[in-house]
Amino acid sequence: MTVPQAIPSRKSGAPAAMAIDEADFEALVHEHQAMVFSLAYHFFHNEAVAEEVAQEVFLKLYENLHRLESPAHVAFWLRRTTCHRSIDWLRRGSMRREVQLERLPEIPESPQAADPLLQERLRRLVASLPEKPRLVVLLRYGQDMDAGEIGRVLKMPVRTVWSHLYRALAVLREKASRYLGEEAV
Amino acid sequence: MSRLEDELRQALRRREPPAGFAERVLARARQRQTHYPPLFHWRWLAAAAALVVLAAGLYFFEERRRRLEGERAKQQVMLALHLTGSKLRLAQQRIQRFIGPGAAFQN
Repeated sequence: MTVPQAIPSRKSGAPAAMAIDEADFEALVHEHQAMVFSLAYHFFHNEAVAEEVAQEVFLKLYENLHRLESPAHVAFWLRRTTCHRSIDWLRRGSMRREVQLERLPEIPESPQAADPLLQERLRRLVASLPEKPRLVVLLRYGQDMDAGEIGRVLKMPVRTVWSHLYRALAVLREKASRYLGEEAV
Repeated sequence: MSRLEDELRQALRRREPPAGFAERVLARARQRQTHYPPLFHWRWLAAAAALVVLAAGLYFFEERRRRLEGERAKQQVMLALHLTGSKLRLAQQRIQRFIGPGAAFQN
């Protein structure tokens, strides 16, 4: 697990902000760019939009460097900000990525379908989920976070996280069952 | 773990951003730094704006209080004048009754 359980917070009387200069900022960009870009990419399933959102997130980080207290706080902050910026981007109407599941192009049925095809299908299915379940799935399987951490990032109760996750998995399993060789739930 | 979860982990694994991503971010950060004042300037501006709003609020509050006081004083003066006028009219009527009609033309 990359993010520790305890997320430092200034409200809880935690230590003061990290001393970060521009060189450290550059190091932070290099360290976290794959995480931020991946989250945005899998949310939108679009490289250009993902890059734009990821750049905005890092510029926001640059403006808020003085508020961040530890490397764990930076990672937590980046994940949360990426989630919020992605939702904002969708809601601003900059891009409508919610595709009706029924409208997704079908992949020819084949029990021995190559993994890249299945994974592309799964990425499209995930990108077509509603915002919150999509983020829950991305944080769970893309960022390897547990329900508690996801709840803290998305500011939702753990039970809601599980609920989103079960429902999203049910939809994904149903839509992808033919290619997975599993029984639809 | 089900196969679906396994495939999801594979499908959603991390991807590196396009080449030059970090350089573009740093260039935009430097550009933003030259175009906008540093954050602490914004803080001072926000504090100054808050002070102006506070001073304006106090000024209008004080003005309103003075206007209300003036109106109250004006009403009191008007009431006093009204009472004085009534008393004078009453006194004049009594004097005229006491002297009788036409007394003013005697002597």
